Amino acid sequence: MSPRAGHPLRLIAAICAALALGGCGIGAGADPDAPIGLSVTRDFGARDALDIPDAKVSGADTVMRVLRRNATVKTRFGGEFVQSINGIAGGRRDGRPVDWFIYVNGSLTDQGAGAIDVHGGDRLWWDHHDWGLTPDIRAVVGSYPEPFVHGEGGKRLPVRVECVDPKGASCKVVADKLIALGIPIGRSNISRSAADETLRILVGPWTAMRGRDAEADAVDRGPKASGVFARFDKAGTALSVLDERGATVRTLGARTGLIAATRAEQRQPVWFVTGTDDAGVASAARALDEGALSDRFALAISDDLPVALPATGDRGAGGG
Amino acid sequence: MFYVRRASPLHAARASVAAAYAVALVTAVLAFENPIALAAVGVAILGAALLAGAGRILLRAALYGVPFAIVIALINPLVTDEGLTVLLRLGDIGPLGKLDVTLEGLTFGAILGLRALLVVLASGALLGATVDADELLRGFRRISVRSALTAALAVRLVPVLGRDARRLADARRCRPDATPKPGAAERLQIVRAVATGALDRALDVAATLEVRGYATAAAAGGPRRLREPWSRHDHAFAASAAGLVALAGGARLLGLAGYDAYPRTVVAAGPGEWLLAAALVLVALLPFADRRGIER
Repeated sequence: MSPRAGHPLRLIAAICAALALGGCGIGAGADPDAPIGLSVTRDFGARDALDIPDAKVSGADTVMRVLRRNATVKTRFGGEFVQSINGIAGGRRDGRPVDWFIYVNGSLTDQGAGAIDVHGGDRLWWDHHDWGLTPDIRAVVGSYPEPFVHGEGGKRLPVRVECVDPKGASCKVVADKLIALGIPIGRSNISRSAADETLRILVGPWTAMRGRDAEADAVDRGPKASGVFARFDKAGTALSVLDERGATVRTLGARTGLIAATRAEQRQPVWFVTGTDDAGVASAARALDEGALSDRFALAISDDLPVALPATGDRGAGGG
Repeated sequence: MFYVRRASPLHAARASVAAAYAVALVTAVLAFENPIALAAVGVAILGAALLAGAGRILLRAALYGVPFAIVIALINPLVTDEGLTVLLRLGDIGPLGKLDVTLEGLTFGAILGLRALLVVLASGALLGATVDADELLRGFRRISVRSALTAALAVRLVPVLGRDARRLADARRCRPDATPKPGAAERLQIVRAVATGALDRALDVAATLEVRGYATAAAAGGPRRLREPWSRHDHAFAASAAGLVALAGGARLLGLAGYDAYPRTVVAAGPGEWLLAAALVLVALLPFADRRGIER
């Protein structure tokens, strides 16, 4: 063999190595190391269409492929976006736009579902809802304990519990619940954080939290800015429950808690465990569990009763 | 351009009917994605070409069509990853995004390639070999004489330019400094000379037509010809064309010969599909059974 004859082989070997390093390979790839949860709901989680705790997966599937393995799906835009699931289609309802949205571990994805790989333990939540007010509800609480356990993109993220009173009872309840799930956490006072890769849970009364954080400011600006369909009054002592159009359905007074999440561009989600007063924060901290939060975009707690947000016709403002 | 009048029932049919027959075969190809139905239409096209004595032309067209079909078959799995059976993970590839080659994508690519090949064979080879372009254009003259004349001249000009190119290439080889095999630059020179010659020829043709009075109103009407009665072959192939279109449309309406490409390949392969396949072949080839009066 001439000295030059080896060049093509070396080139092929280099290409193969580059492809292998880039996540390429033959076949479907290795199966995820933990079950993938798949939920399909309508109207902001008000109605269940499908709930599979251990969805069918084959190898290194994408979010779209997992959905197609477990439901009847019609797609558009070259198979990247979902048009209908089990016959429920996007389009218009009562003159308002409705479509399917995908939340992976509680975060709205910014890519087509065909471009996102699933990882062991991920929770995939498809919801069909009215997006006339905003299509941009970037973070939801209904996949709890995600994103705290498995993070994003198969990478676990640092978690920090930031409290108005780090030694207070509600702060301890929230921290203990996360530690019980095996999540290593940091605790601190609330601060304007520049840490983009940290998942933060802010605990405390809204009056003490207001103005101290960019995400808290977004919640005060309303659902278009934050994706949270609830608004505290100027004094922070009452919470307005909003419907999908942004209209106030009812107002909750003292002892009201709120668990909600929002997400700014290029940052990880920020969760709020807050309320109109200490009693409200305490009831929100108690409600921080999988059963209460499942399939909720956000949750208000009034007299220890859950109020799903946004309020929808089917579920009503007081429905659980 | 490949047309030679042969002793076959299809050649005996009038040009418009033969063209309609080829178009019906193309319609049948485009109507189906089911491989059983497509294979049947393929058999029909192949059978028609062989029975019309155009097998060689079909083979030549296939030499060009097969690589084209292979390219389509290979591109499809790269532009869609809707299938569920992943064969190859290519990772993120720049603007194409995340790319997985799936069995379903490959299968549907093969179907699309087969359809493209059959369209080339039916609309290119079979139509070109069995339809007298001049006769067909004479029919169009009733609708628009200028368009028909332009089309007829264009069709005639292609072989003329081909001969020009061969003559120029021969002349080039006679030069003392000529290479035995012309390179890209020499080929380009010939193409440039032929293209320039084409413009000259077009001007000559225009002048000749004007001298012959084609621009006058009387010529625009064209000479009056007696209408020829329809022959048995005209009737047979027209019925066959109508039958093929009816079978394709009927199958679509009845939901026969279904094919789901994604997320998993599902091919309908029941008795209905096999009956449809047999009917397609029978309806397409039955007119060839009558070989009376095929010589002109």
